[in-house]
Amino acid sequence: MKYSTVLAGALLATTVMSQAFAQEAGNVTVVLGEEPDLVEPCMATRSNIGRIVLQNISETLTELDVRGDEGLKPRLAVSWEMTDASTWRFHLREGVKFSDGSDFDAQDVKHSFDRAQSDQISCEISRYYEGIDITPTVIDPHTIDFTTDPAQPILPLLLSLLTIVPSETPIEFTREPVGTGPYILSDWQPGRQITLERRDDYWGDAPEVQTAKYVFRSDPAVAAAMVSTGEADIAPTISAMDATTDMDVAYPNSETTYLRIDSSVAPLDDKRVREALNIGIDRDAFIGTILAEGTQVATAINVPTTLGWNPDVKAFPYDPERARELLDEAKADGVPVDREILLVGRTGNFPGATETFEAIQSMLNDAGFNIKLQMVEVAEHEQYYSKPYVDGRGPILVGAQHDNSRGDPVFSMFFKYDSEGRQSGIADQKVDDLIAQATAATGEEREALWSELFAYLHDDVIADVLLFHMVGHARVGSRVAFTPTIATNSQLQLSEIGFR
Amino acid sequence: MKSMLGKRAVSSFVSLLVLIVLVFFLSRLTGDPAALYLPIDASEAMRENFREINGLNDPVLVQFGHYLSDLVRLDFGDSLRKARPAIDVVLEAFVWTLWLALITMVLVTVAAIVVGALAAFNVGRGFDRVASVFSLIGASAPDFWVAIVGIVLFSVTLGWLPTSGTGTIWHWILPVAVLFIRPFGLILQIVRGSMINALGSAYVKTARAKGVKNRPIIFVHTLRNAMLPVITVIGDQAAALLNGAVVVETIFGFPGVGKLMIDSILQRDFNVILAAIMVTALAIFVMNIVIDIAYALLDPRIRT
Repeated sequence: MKYSTVLAGALLATTVMSQAFAQEAGNVTVVLGEEPDLVEPCMATRSNIGRIVLQNISETLTELDVRGDEGLKPRLAVSWEMTDASTWRFHLREGVKFSDGSDFDAQDVKHSFDRAQSDQISCEISRYYEGIDITPTVIDPHTIDFTTDPAQPILPLLLSLLTIVPSETPIEFTREPVGTGPYILSDWQPGRQITLERRDDYWGDAPEVQTAKYVFRSDPAVAAAMVSTGEADIAPTISAMDATTDMDVAYPNSETTYLRIDSSVAPLDDKRVREALNIGIDRDAFIGTILAEGTQVATAINVPTTLGWNPDVKAFPYDPERARELLDEAKADGVPVDREILLVGRTGNFPGATETFEAIQSMLNDAGFNIKLQMVEVAEHEQYYSKPYVDGRGPILVGAQHDNSRGDPVFSMFFKYDSEGRQSGIADQKVDDLIAQATAATGEEREALWSELFAYLHDDVIADVLLFHMVGHARVGSRVAFTPTIATNSQLQLSEIGFR
Repeated sequence: MKSMLGKRAVSSFVSLLVLIVLVFFLSRLTGDPAALYLPIDASEAMRENFREINGLNDPVLVQFGHYLSDLVRLDFGDSLRKARPAIDVVLEAFVWTLWLALITMVLVTVAAIVVGALAAFNVGRGFDRVASVFSLIGASAPDFWVAIVGIVLFSVTLGWLPTSGTGTIWHWILPVAVLFIRPFGLILQIVRGSMINALGSAYVKTARAKGVKNRPIIFVHTLRNAMLPVITVIGDQAAALLNGAVVVETIFGFPGVGKLMIDSILQRDFNVILAAIMVTALAIFVMNIVIDIAYALLDPRIRT
């Protein structure tokens, strides 16, 4: 009797409570790994902000198609063309209103650009326009010219990162973002949740989602559990270990893992040694073991969907015997191959990071290297990874990840390979020239130049040890229809979410 | 009693000052916030601009001077990351921590005293054994493990409680339960030990000889005398909770001050670190005074 009462009570509690935590129709809850510090449109290139703001609250003139292969699509601009070698003209969409009721026009675009470039605030978007002199000129309310020096063949792509705010927006960071997007920020309880509400006067098609609630859990196991229990609908990043249910999907997350070689220090200045590093690692052995199934072996710092990615570049085979021979040859020529090489990895860089770097260390030592592994925190990692490098340093390999889902290698190449690049481990005149030429080129010529650079870096310079294009895992609840893409790391458009 | 509290206040104020100086300079030793705030590809010019906007280019002593003069006007400065007053950020989080600590400590204190007193009265018998074993397990189980097991069992498998977050009273049960276990185990052991001592004392034997019943012996005579060491431990445990229950806050997505402190240290958000330390230090100072008063009320010898 007593037992059955308890049981009945428990069952009742279960039903009552599962209803209490269930979601209303038209609403979704998204559980993210970290809360954004700001919901500031000009910081939308930062992933934790972009996932909430980009194309939901704030829109851009152009948009890169990541689901199909349409390339750059119109958004707030309907079309664009070059009027001369250094000027791009954008024709803006008419009849668009900001969520504060004001009309969208060319003045807003100019103000958004000027605000992002202002030296009174640190807008993250501005780094994409560094080194280019860009002057926006309003032609009429729905036409704007951008004059650049030097010529910017990919300016329309660069403008896919510029979020548009009304011209009344003050320069300082705002906590009440106003945009042209289909949603407004309706509630923000710091530390707890952010809520977006659908607008009725959006210029485009009305999305299915009425209200989106974002909550934040730094433990991916808890995020995954929330989707299982129905408390949340989408957890865009859960760990591979938890991705065991049929709600879980793997997707390429646009991160490339590699070892940056500092080729100015012996023995890493010897090309044979760099080749030995590359063939001394059994990349295939990681996939499906330490790293998730679906991880791809990389032959370039950029993912295969990037312009100019070169399919003719083949991954280095695993050949420890040959690696030993190469080291012996180098040694015979006086290269100090026995010198201890420091391998620096970042704790928690990706799930299984420590195990991955430990396995790499062990494989390379088996191939005849003398590798010492050091796992460090993010701030210390940055000191190894970015210039200025320390004087009098020993040979260093830095394990790192690079994310470029923006479709063009220009967002990577200068930083990672130019002699002046902040994270570059090489100084090669031909590389510098190719980067400069490709950056200034358009169309097929641009594609061909990037292709040539990818092959040259991988086969001739052997600039680094390229390892993997990584996959992420998302858990999507049964109520909603959503397929993550390569862009899910940086944005999550609510209009792409449907209900089942 | 007044002079005791006065001395306490002065020494606490001095400690607070030393703490400000130490934390101000130590946090700046961790490095340059610009390196973490800006993306890894950002140029030196962008970093320089960031440092200029945020006054990080001034000599450290000048920064310290600015900080102190602002502090006198109760201005803790803006959070570097959140671009709003650091004190607002901290107080928002601290309210949650305060409630969490208060609810947990009230439950712990009541439960530990009742169970501990009963265990002491039944030394060596079944109730005592069971209470001791469970409290030892509780005091030694790692809280992240208890938290995850709690979520798997009560949220995912049984569906009785929400996994995490805030919003309803149900959301408080798991975090409070996880926080409850360790101090409960510890305080229960202290209550039990202290009560066993007191129960063996001469005045209890006298009371028994006079025919006083068990319940008044425990709750009127012995408990009051056995409380002094217990209050010390309650104070320690409450202070630990006021500093933030980092693990519980992280796992349950609870917006408390512990995780805020860790995050602001990792992000080098100096003003938030200092504001958080000031607020928690003040709270602990107030709590210590409450404990001193409690001591004085329980033990007349301390009042003089």
